[in-house]
Amino acid sequence: MKTLLTISWRNIWRHPARSSVLLAAIIVGLWAGVVTVGIINGLMQQRIDYMIESEITHAQVHNPDFLAEGYSWLYIPDHDEITAWLENDDRVTSFTSRTITDGMLQSPIKTSGVRIRGINIDSEIRTTNFHENIVEGEYLDSDIRNAVIIGQKLANDHNVEVGNRIVLTFEDTGNELTSGSFNIAGIFKSASVDYDERNVFIRSDEFIALLGDEEVYHEIGIMLADEELAGPVVEELNGAFPGIHAQTWRQLSPELSMLVELGGYMVILITMIIMIALAFGILNTMLMALFERMREIGMLLSIGMSRLRVFSMIMIESIILTITGAAVGIVLATLSINYFSDTGINLEMFAEGAAQVGWDHIIYPILSSTEYIIILAVVVIITLLASVYPAIKGIRINPLEAAKDG
Amino acid sequence: MAIVRTEKLSKVYNPDTVPVHALRDVSIEINEGEFTAVRGPSGSGKTTLLNMIGGLDKPTSGNVFISGQEISKMKDSKRIDFRLQNIGFVFQHYNLIPVFTARENVSFIMLLQKRNKKEIQQRADELLEQVGLGDRKDARPVQLSGGQQQRVAVARALASEPKFILADEPTANLDTESAMNLLDIMERMNREQNVTFVFSTHDQRVIDRARRVITMVDGAIHKDEIQHADEKEEA
Repeated sequence: MKTLLTISWRNIWRHPARSSVLLAAIIVGLWAGVVTVGIINGLMQQRIDYMIESEITHAQVHNPDFLAEGYSWLYIPDHDEITAWLENDDRVTSFTSRTITDGMLQSPIKTSGVRIRGINIDSEIRTTNFHENIVEGEYLDSDIRNAVIIGQKLANDHNVEVGNRIVLTFEDTGNELTSGSFNIAGIFKSASVDYDERNVFIRSDEFIALLGDEEVYHEIGIMLADEELAGPVVEELNGAFPGIHAQTWRQLSPELSMLVELGGYMVILITMIIMIALAFGILNTMLMALFERMREIGMLLSIGMSRLRVFSMIMIESIILTITGAAVGIVLATLSINYFSDTGINLEMFAEGAAQVGWDHIIYPILSSTEYIIILAVVVIITLLASVYPAIKGIRINPLEAAKDG
Repeated sequence: MAIVRTEKLSKVYNPDTVPVHALRDVSIEINEGEFTAVRGPSGSGKTTLLNMIGGLDKPTSGNVFISGQEISKMKDSKRIDFRLQNIGFVFQHYNLIPVFTARENVSFIMLLQKRNKKEIQQRADELLEQVGLGDRKDARPVQLSGGQQQRVAVARALASEPKFILADEPTANLDTESAMNLLDIMERMNREQNVTFVFSTHDQRVIDRARRVITMVDGAIHKDEIQHADEKEEA
């Protein structure tokens, strides 16, 4: 065995450049696999975190018909009892009630359909970080009366800026059309241009005053100690309050859920493409190395080296290269992931397009230890499989090759 | 008893398309201690005969016996092991393992035989001394001349203590001085240690030194002559 190891090790360094290229292919393949998976995971997690922390929250409560209809009279029954229930539950870290209805935004130049969101500033700031999206002016905690904050895209479409007035028109709880004049206090820019175009925020007390005499809420956003608690909490809420419909973020945003699933498939697809390219690279290099040594292997078979030993010799060469490449690759990949998980990968040049579909331009790659192990195992298995064919070819060499001329 | 015996050995390449008769009913015997050259023009069948005797190729018909054992019917894996234990090879192109030193090249075959490490080291050093390379044990093939490489190949062939050594055109790539030097070494081993050598060759220098010369023409034995018959006895 020691002799086989020695001969294999020296064979590897017979052509240092070629072995280095093969080693580099394994290292880069592994690194690329890990970093790609890390970026995709990071993108998914970023999207989930963003949606949860800035808007959706872990769970929401609505009137069962509200999300489909959007009318202001479809408010949450038993709102105060529900909030009392939430206050007494240790799993709930914060919650906020929102008054919401669909309406029209009018500026001097045009009219757009928007979703008007009335928020309670203190509880909203405790529950979400949407206030961090303000890019011009102030949040709704300003002193301006009848303040509204609108998305940057909407502001650009209407050619309005901070300090301008707009009119919001909507149906009140009595099914009557009503409108109010609002002053633009600030402009926000979220990760989604689409969201910026369709949503405006006002204070809930000013909104409630226009909607009717009653204090009505259409949505309660709930943040929990752990995302995994969303299912049980929602189930208990629905059990305790039959007139409402509580949902987890996955139920509220099936497209987000689907995106996460799609991300999983993307990971498999991209890893497979990288691995197939790697496998062909290895196959090619090992075959070249073999063809160059036909006479030598013929000699080994002639003098009495068994075919099993010849097979082992070729496989050991691949195993040494694979282990070395995999070790270096995984160290580099881990260092890269650790570094970028702190600093993020800045994809500013793609940020314009990324923002359209709701992504931030700084990605923080994430990789679980299971994923590291899976990628490492896949690279090792692919490399070894790619070496089996040259090794089989090696043992089929005719010993007479040793006596050939040329 | 003859070390090598062939019975009506025939080899036909491409039997179904354009048959080429490389060997035709060749029956020979080679005894222990012989120093035999197989000569003949290109295509006469001398290399094919050596390949059959060495168990590297199978005959179309006929038999090859080495020390009484029929090797042409053996399974591939058994034949490989048989070669390891019984036959030494010297190739025209030396065919040393380029990544090994001279000593490692000689030791390698003994490692395959799973011999004792101390014994391997000792025997490898002795053999390299015998072929005049005692001071080049740690040189790799690329650091040795053609003649020196072929001497390492002879030491390697002897290392396994084979029943006989087959040398296919061993001097074909050597200058006169290296060829004569190599022949001196092989002749001395034959004389002093009774090592049996069988060469295939075109080289008149080898033919002149051989004590038995088998001449092949068109795959058949044309002549089988003994020369310098008295030399070995005198020595």
